[in-house]
Amino acid sequence: MRKIFLSVMFVLAVTVAVFAGGVQETNVKEATQIYFWHAFSDAPRSGWIQDRADEFNASQDDFRIIVEAKGSYRDTLQAAVLADKQGDAPHIVQVFEVGSQLAFDTGIFKPIAEIGSFDTSDYIKPVLNYYTINGKVNSIPFNSSSPVLYINRDKMVEAGFDANYVPATFSDVIKVLEVAKAKGVLGAKYSMNLHGWFYEQWMAEQGAMMVNNGNGRDDRATETLLDSSPSVKIGNFMSELAKKDLYTYTGKLEDWGGSDAIFQEGKAMMHVTSTADLGNISSAVNGKFNLGAGFLPIADGVERNGTVIGGASVWVAKNHPDNELTASCDFILYMTNTKNMVSWHKLTGYYPVRTSSIKVLTAEGWFDSDVNQIVAFDQLLATKTNKATAGAIAGTLLENRSIIEMAFQKIIQGGDVKAALSEAKILSDAKLAEYNANF
Amino acid sequence: MSNNNENAVFTGGWKILLFILPTILILVVFLYFPAWHSIVLSFFRSNLFLGTRKFIGFENFRNLFIGPLAPAFIQSLFQTIFLSLFIVIIGLPISVFLAILANKKIRGAKVYRMLLIWPFALSPAVAGTIFLFIFNPEVGIINTLLDSLFSIKPRWLDSPILAVILVIFAAVWKNLGYNIVFYLAALQNIPSEPLEAADIDGAGPFRKFFNIVLPLLSPTTFFLLFTNLSYGFFETFGLIDILTSGGPVGPPGFLDHSGITTTIMYKVFEDGFGGSSNMGFAAAEGVILLIMVGIFAYFQFSHLGKRVHYQG
Repeated sequence: MRKIFLSVMFVLAVTVAVFAGGVQETNVKEATQIYFWHAFSDAPRSGWIQDRADEFNASQDDFRIIVEAKGSYRDTLQAAVLADKQGDAPHIVQVFEVGSQLAFDTGIFKPIAEIGSFDTSDYIKPVLNYYTINGKVNSIPFNSSSPVLYINRDKMVEAGFDANYVPATFSDVIKVLEVAKAKGVLGAKYSMNLHGWFYEQWMAEQGAMMVNNGNGRDDRATETLLDSSPSVKIGNFMSELAKKDLYTYTGKLEDWGGSDAIFQEGKAMMHVTSTADLGNISSAVNGKFNLGAGFLPIADGVERNGTVIGGASVWVAKNHPDNELTASCDFILYMTNTKNMVSWHKLTGYYPVRTSSIKVLTAEGWFDSDVNQIVAFDQLLATKTNKATAGAIAGTLLENRSIIEMAFQKIIQGGDVKAALSEAKILSDAKLAEYNANF
Repeated sequence: MSNNNENAVFTGGWKILLFILPTILILVVFLYFPAWHSIVLSFFRSNLFLGTRKFIGFENFRNLFIGPLAPAFIQSLFQTIFLSLFIVIIGLPISVFLAILANKKIRGAKVYRMLLIWPFALSPAVAGTIFLFIFNPEVGIINTLLDSLFSIKPRWLDSPILAVILVIFAAVWKNLGYNIVFYLAALQNIPSEPLEAADIDGAGPFRKFFNIVLPLLSPTTFFLLFTNLSYGFFETFGLIDILTSGGPVGPPGFLDHSGITTTIMYKVFEDGFGGSSNMGFAAAEGVILLIMVGIFAYFQFSHLGKRVHYQG
């Protein structure tokens, strides 16, 4: 008994000593803490953010940026909303693009344009457009990407095409795959993962809106346009691919890694995924075959409008003193400055969201070393500025994605395109009405 | 043995209360209060992100059975029952069989027992990931093997029938260890007298199994029936999330309104925490699940319970 008592006392003493030290340390630094919640759980990207925070902290004594990874994008936003309810909101929150309306509607954030004046002219226009709601820049674009076509050039040559040939339209893609299949090329397949994001891109490329009221940018969206003719064109493409046995995926929705693996293993000829995966896919392919990249193939007979920016932006939560809001803003601007966006791009493949960063990269000869890198930029810079390419905003865009994915799965299983999309529209509209009824 | 108040272990009512207080506390905090909260929430239109809360009566419940949101819910209701029943129907006989084998006094029996039980120690997420790797249609080991042997590559994750079979198989495998532990314990408690008597009467191994062992296992089976059903209802969530994310969409007709492996539990999560977080609607789904479990429990204890043979 005595021994137990003594050991308990010992543990207590040690604990007190340890925590006493901790208290002392925080007393020395009187820096105000600024919390940054993000959604990157991987070491390279979260490490990069931590490094920028450390640099910022070292540059001044008043504020201290504390970086925390909070799980998925959705988890991060949910956690921020719940923390705000308890009066303990983080200062800076990374929010994914489809969550923009949701983040806006939570009312816990302050449009960044209202915090301080900052120069928006350097940000790439299509990127900034997405995050402009009601004429105000709400958040600063951070990690941005769009999809491009990845090509197994060896199979292309085997099928008798020029090694540098890039199919531009849906019918080109099907034609190439059919020719390859007829010639007995193994893996004459198209291997995009089944994700609503690609559908959103294909709608924008056609200059088509996804929801009413100017893609939700003139007024709150009340109806989706899933049964419109641009939408049916996309459905028909997937239907034809599946019927001719030219499409392959793991069978799981939104299975990015699974589909990448299929392409990297040489089991597919063409693949569509994010530009941000260029680095990963290149190193996974690693000379197994010649990898090519090209613009995203689009629907036949339409003018190319460009892609919608994907990824995430950083928002500032409003329930904090003014000086903390300004400091948050300062850090975000530091993190996304010209030099940092250059290193961010080199590390991850995300676009540097500043025009000046692209100039630096060009001057360094970055694009000469890998021609595939420039494809993504050309595609982004060629994007027309309109409401279609600004991207839809609505409270239920996430549900909309799942509903589209299910409709496409039905289509791939041989279902009727129009029936599947009409049913998807009814369901998506019902969810949107449920959401809008909250206001 | 007299059982009056003087001889009873606990005399006063407050002592009993004191001893069950910890259990009651845990039940209230982690079970009754959340359940009550869900029931209340199901009558509101409530969004997690917006923090809204508007009383709408039975509208959430109406939406579950009438209108565009209903087919997906009714489908998942049906699928939950189907999946849970199959987990029981397939899982329990296999467990009894393996438990009897594991109960044999052979060399290394302990090793076999441990190996049979270990899947239960895995978290559902790990089990799901293992299955996901094994059954990847293009690069998984199963299809690589099948392709080289028979030139077939079954679509495990997006062919509706195969996906359901895979989920049931994975769920049964995951819970096998749990069932075997209980059956092993029950088998070791079976008295030797009736078996010896049967031997004297010249009964064969099958007759002994069906007429003596199985009836004596019935209390365990009864217990496992209920735990396995509720395992199917609630705990397959993690496995389904990793393995199929509730998909793929089923064949046209009745089953194409929702993913074919979407159980109510998964749908509650999707509606409440996925998308734009319609908490009221998800709570209504949870309430229906609660009622379902209640009905099952009632039937089980009122009807099946009477047929169970308890020793002693």
